[in-house]
Amino acid sequence: MNAVVIVGAGFAGLGAAVRLKQAGIDDFVVLERGHEVGGTWRDNTYPGAACDIPSLLYSYSFAPNPDWSRAYSGGVEIFGYIRGVVERFELEPHIRFGADVEDLAFDEAAGTWTARTADGRSFTARAVVMAPGPLANAGLPDIPGVDLFEGHTMHSARWDHDYDLKGKRVAVIGTGSSGVQLIPGLVREAASVKVFQRTPGWVLPRLDYRRPDWSKRLFRRVPAAQAATRRAWYLGHEVIALGLVWDTVFTSMVQRVSKAYLRAAVKDPWMRRQLTPDFRPGCKRMLMTSEYYPALQRDNCKLITWPIARLSPNGIRTADGIEHEVDCVVFATGFDICKTGTPFPIRGRGGRELAAEWSRGAKAYKSVSVSGYPNLFFTFGPNSGPGHNSALVYMEAQIDYAVQGIRLILDRGLSALDVKAGSQERYNQRMQQRLRRTTWNSGCKSWYLTEDGYNATMYPGFATQYARQLAKLDLTDYSADAPPHH
Amino acid sequence: MYDFDGMLQKIKDRQWALADVDWGAPGAEAITEAQRPKLRAFMADLVWIENIGARGFAAMAKKAPSETLRQIYVYFHAEEQRHANAELALMRRWGMLEDGEVPEPNVNVRLAIEWLDRYSDDMPLSILGTVIPMLEVALDGALVKFLLDEVHDPVCHEVFQKINADESRHLAVDFQVLDLIGHAPARRLLIQTVGSAASPGVLLGALMYIPLLNKMRDNIVAMGLKEERLYAAMRRFTSVGERGEGTRRVITYQVLKRHAAMVIDRGHPYHRLADFMVRASDHYPRRLLRRTPAWAKELTHEPVAR
Repeated sequence: MNAVVIVGAGFAGLGAAVRLKQAGIDDFVVLERGHEVGGTWRDNTYPGAACDIPSLLYSYSFAPNPDWSRAYSGGVEIFGYIRGVVERFELEPHIRFGADVEDLAFDEAAGTWTARTADGRSFTARAVVMAPGPLANAGLPDIPGVDLFEGHTMHSARWDHDYDLKGKRVAVIGTGSSGVQLIPGLVREAASVKVFQRTPGWVLPRLDYRRPDWSKRLFRRVPAAQAATRRAWYLGHEVIALGLVWDTVFTSMVQRVSKAYLRAAVKDPWMRRQLTPDFRPGCKRMLMTSEYYPALQRDNCKLITWPIARLSPNGIRTADGIEHEVDCVVFATGFDICKTGTPFPIRGRGGRELAAEWSRGAKAYKSVSVSGYPNLFFTFGPNSGPGHNSALVYMEAQIDYAVQGIRLILDRGLSALDVKAGSQERYNQRMQQRLRRTTWNSGCKSWYLTEDGYNATMYPGFATQYARQLAKLDLTDYSADAPPHH
Repeated sequence: MYDFDGMLQKIKDRQWALADVDWGAPGAEAITEAQRPKLRAFMADLVWIENIGARGFAAMAKKAPSETLRQIYVYFHAEEQRHANAELALMRRWGMLEDGEVPEPNVNVRLAIEWLDRYSDDMPLSILGTVIPMLEVALDGALVKFLLDEVHDPVCHEVFQKINADESRHLAVDFQVLDLIGHAPARRLLIQTVGSAASPGVLLGALMYIPLLNKMRDNIVAMGLKEERLYAAMRRFTSVGERGEGTRRVITYQVLKRHAAMVIDRGHPYHRLADFMVRASDHYPRRLLRRTPAWAKELTHEPVAR
């Protein structure tokens, strides 16, 4: 038995591992279904993969990297950073690769969780940190005939690097964050690229630049300077919440800037109309790219906005009756996000099943704890999603909160640290009330909402507010059971 | 309440493509040499009317009162384009088009394209929602029936069977929406209509629409169609429209209905004006025409884009 099991060796799981170690808790294992760490950044290796948050802010404050090569470093470098964290904090011995958790159950009498993996192993621990990642599973679109296509297919999150794109006719389905990042590279490489767009997004140019050597030297010598710069980026993004979380005058400003950019970057008025969203900025994620619009207008690229009717053996048929013959279809269709279930069965007190309780939309207390599932801590749980700031800021708050809870469980020998149902209920009522005033819940459709329009993903506020509520674990909201005396 | 969700699903289920049709199948020889030149002009008009209708639906998608309707209009936009493409493929089959050729639009169509490009996105749903069914009923209804009487090519019949199935869904939605619009409070209907009727967009729209209709009539008559056929179709617009309690309250509908009555009445002095406008538009200085917008250059007779 271990003190702690962490599920997932992506950013969140490894961050939790680091913080546990720093809190003096060494008795933990990290279960990883793959054979490499890095999660989203291991999987998303398509050309052009990058993060739309500056690297100084999209990295752990407790594991600073002075050497980021660019303001917005690419996926390869981010992946390298994650591997660097594993090395720096000697996490490798804790990680169990190929451990695909299929079932997680709480034993009330023993006060332990047991995780069973697909290959028959089982891991028991006093506490569990769930870090399976919100964007871990590739999402395929619901298009008729998707399995009829006889050419090559790949998903942006499962890029096939062995497939040579030179001279190929490629179709890209989807123009979200992944799509707009990979299209410029494809246009450079393939013979022709057809971009199938259902909904255009608001685009802002990304002001990326190569970081000068003196700034790397400065950060290496004066870590406080890096911390201060990170802080500045952080506050800069906090301000953006005013435009993206709520519909305000700042939203109109963002919209005007984005429209002006579109006008400047795209010559043809009809194409501009095709690329103009009919929702308010913030409703869906902003697209940060300076390369997308120019790529769309290259001679070998074509934007197609007709609805896709079906896939055929040779290509894609659109509703205007035309079949687009291609050699390869790239699905940049995003991820399957668990909004109404769990990635694998999780059974809590009295055998209750979390997926059943979450079938109408996930609910938790401060996104981390769920009543009836003691000693279990979620990263990126319900209503923890950032729309405007670095996911890692949120993640750090969740991890530190979990470490506090685990410390309590271990120090006091608790068999169950369980959030009270009433506290969770009150928290969610407040959450949903506040969500009603946000842009996401103002009638727009996005992956943030369930089919019924319930918002179980986003946090309605500033990152600062989110982190502050998690700064201290308040025991009055929990019931803490000591093990029965023998 | 109308089941727009059910309609959207039906639309998605009934998609067809040019590639579903065997364009090389026998029957093309049914077109006589005597028919050919006039049929070519007639088909060209038809293609462009579909393209104009398509752009109209694109404008309506922006105005749709619900997400489902928005999606329906997005499909209708594409389906009208599909009809134009299929009609081009027929023309190609009949040897009326060179490889990759698209027939030139006449000046009235050019003016309509210009108008749509400039004003259609700013038109309220009540105006777009009335004019589009009128175009669909009158032109599609009359023209297509006539075509099937005159042309004995089985492929032509197969294609128009598909097109008609689409159009019947378009019309069903068109009239349901018209009825829906009419159920808005009278005050809002009045303000909306008066507000936009005073706009240059509507005025220019009328200047474009009146000769377009009479020009179509002339082309049809030249083809040997009794103009009565066109009028019968326009009468159908009124008779279907009258069934909707809400429809009757839509001011644009009332205006269009009166207009249709004048068009149908051949002796009405209206035709002196309209025919004059057709002649006048023939003299419209070509250099005043603006560049053809990109959306009007998307038509193709090729079932497969390689």
